[in-house]
Amino acid sequence: MKKLLAILLAAVMVFSLAACAGGTDAGGSAAASASAEASAPAADASDTGEPASGAGDGDYKIAVVPKLIGIPYFTQTGDGAKAAGDEIGVEVTYTGPSKADAAEQVKMIEDLIAQGVDAIAVAPNDPAAVVPALEKAKNAGIVCLDWDAPVDNEKLIDASIHQIEDKEFAEHSIDMLVEAMGDSGDYAILTGSLSAPNQNLWIDYAKTYAAEKYPNLNLVTDPIPTEEKQQEAYSKTLDLVKAYPDLKGIVGYATVCPLGAAQAIREKGLQDQIAVVGTAVKEDAQEFIEDGSLDIAFLWNTQDLGALTVKVAKYLLDGNELSNDMVIDGFPDISVDGNVVYLGPPEDYTKDTYK
Amino acid sequence: MKAFKTLKEKYANELTLACIFIAVFIILGILAPDKFLTAYNLGSMMSQMPELGLLSLGMMAAILTGGMNLSICYIASLSGIFAAYVLSSDFAATNVGIGIAAAIGAAMLIAVITGLINGGVIAYIGVAAMLVTLGTMTLFQGIATNITQGGAISGFPEEFMALGGGNVFGIPVPMLIYIGAIIAAYLLLERSAWGSRVYMTGCNETAARFSGVNTKATVLKVYIFSSVMAAIGGLIMISRYNSARVDYGSSYLMMSISAVVLGGTSIMGGHGSVIGTVIAVGIIQIVTTGLNVLGINRYLIDIIIGAILIGVLAIRFLSRRLSDRNLVKARAAKVGAQ
Repeated sequence: MKKLLAILLAAVMVFSLAACAGGTDAGGSAAASASAEASAPAADASDTGEPASGAGDGDYKIAVVPKLIGIPYFTQTGDGAKAAGDEIGVEVTYTGPSKADAAEQVKMIEDLIAQGVDAIAVAPNDPAAVVPALEKAKNAGIVCLDWDAPVDNEKLIDASIHQIEDKEFAEHSIDMLVEAMGDSGDYAILTGSLSAPNQNLWIDYAKTYAAEKYPNLNLVTDPIPTEEKQQEAYSKTLDLVKAYPDLKGIVGYATVCPLGAAQAIREKGLQDQIAVVGTAVKEDAQEFIEDGSLDIAFLWNTQDLGALTVKVAKYLLDGNELSNDMVIDGFPDISVDGNVVYLGPPEDYTKDTYK
Repeated sequence: MKAFKTLKEKYANELTLACIFIAVFIILGILAPDKFLTAYNLGSMMSQMPELGLLSLGMMAAILTGGMNLSICYIASLSGIFAAYVLSSDFAATNVGIGIAAAIGAAMLIAVITGLINGGVIAYIGVAAMLVTLGTMTLFQGIATNITQGGAISGFPEEFMALGGGNVFGIPVPMLIYIGAIIAAYLLLERSAWGSRVYMTGCNETAARFSGVNTKATVLKVYIFSSVMAAIGGLIMISRYNSARVDYGSSYLMMSISAVVLGGTSIMGGHGSVIGTVIAVGIIQIVTTGLNVLGINRYLIDIIIGAILIGVLAIRFLSRRLSDRNLVKARAAKVGAQ
């Protein structure tokens, strides 16, 4: 019997520890809920938590779910989302799976429904897998948004936050490539994964645009997948350089691709022969751009993407409809097409950016 | 009273786990009665649990023989993918009933093939299970990625959704399938002649072989059993996510090993019970869902599950050592008295 008692006590301790740890890590709201938990019933711990986080009245709870947590891109979008939540007075929960696994993500959405949030904005790991879970959310009266990548069901989604107009972005990438390598010669495309819908769309637009506008550009091989890993992009680039000695340009469509490619170019000392451009987070691109191995990086402002998602969710929760002349505080450049909201033109990062 | 005592001794580990489960459940119920104890949340936990549960049962059988099945998640996704191809074909769209049956048949076929590969190389060639399944993990992942090109397969008949999303008398269908699998696993592993041979092989393979047990055939069947459990899990997954893709459920590998070990199965093989694994899966489920519902940071959830695992293992080890020491003392006292 003693043993049982000891184990029960241990379990209780683990949990009280967890509650305290949650407080220090997740800021005010969880700390307040931890103290509320200590005072026994705590019917609605999170409600008591809101004033402590300084987020105003906190009528709405908005959950923003990234593909995964713990990589720079989604850390920055999360910072933007949380800052926007503080600014407009809503409680933002930014939580996602620790691996980019659709199964894990679906479970988290189901748990968020149980938590009773007012809106869920998800960056789906798989456009189809989250649909059944979002249907449940919809039936529970929750406003559903997607961001970063679209969900495979337009009827379900109240607003879809796109970082960029895909066609415009793809054409921009080719223009940048031409600016870096000239308008003739061999080039290759690196991509994150062959199943990522947004990257595939960009590549399709980019190929068509390049063929029409710059007929002297020659794509040497099919887009090369890199498993969204810098290491993979690096080794694939080494192979490319070996296989195509006349290669003059590389364009990368996942935030890790240009970095890996630049790493390979730097190692081989090919900065002047081969131009590398592509999507990359500003801070990560800096060292490669400064030494010339990466020529031009471009990306939407990641923090703004998170912030816009939260603000549009609040806008919808207030009972407003999406329209072309809607005004979102701090985002003068957005455009609306149906239920799609575009963040605006990308930012370019060149040597001048870091001066 | 005596019956209770023997029950307590025989199932000491399962009873402790059940107490932890109940304690955690009560704590979470007190912390968030309006969120954790809702019909919606209880139902959603019941439909989430079977995926990990089935993989854990498959993993447990392999660990009972002193082996390991690292390829289990990709067996699940590979059989799910083959089933998905059948389901999304034109044939299944017009002949729904036969289509679904054929899809389940395809998944089972893949399960048997993968099981034969794993079990064959482990039992008949004698390569260590960890190495073989590490290899087949990459192999199955490669095959799955190659045939799908990394993409998702979707467009299943509406009726197939019932497998992952339906309810019978208020109980989610995946849970019913899981309960069926638990009973089957219990009967096969703990109540059948083959089951006894599995435990004997796990305890001491050489001794088992010299006692006339065909250890090779036993181990081969263990890996087929393991694959079949994984394939059932894979079918539930593709139904729940309305699509199949190579990396669905890839986060379950380490979790299923944790569940098996937490459930009291010896990693050296030979000891463990189905019910222990089942309760351990339940604990992991309510802890993750409970903490998600409370809105606690995802990394902390991993930390807490890790802490519970280490805590339970440490307590189990210490209590075993304590009981050993008491036994020695009691014997010494007996000898002294004589």
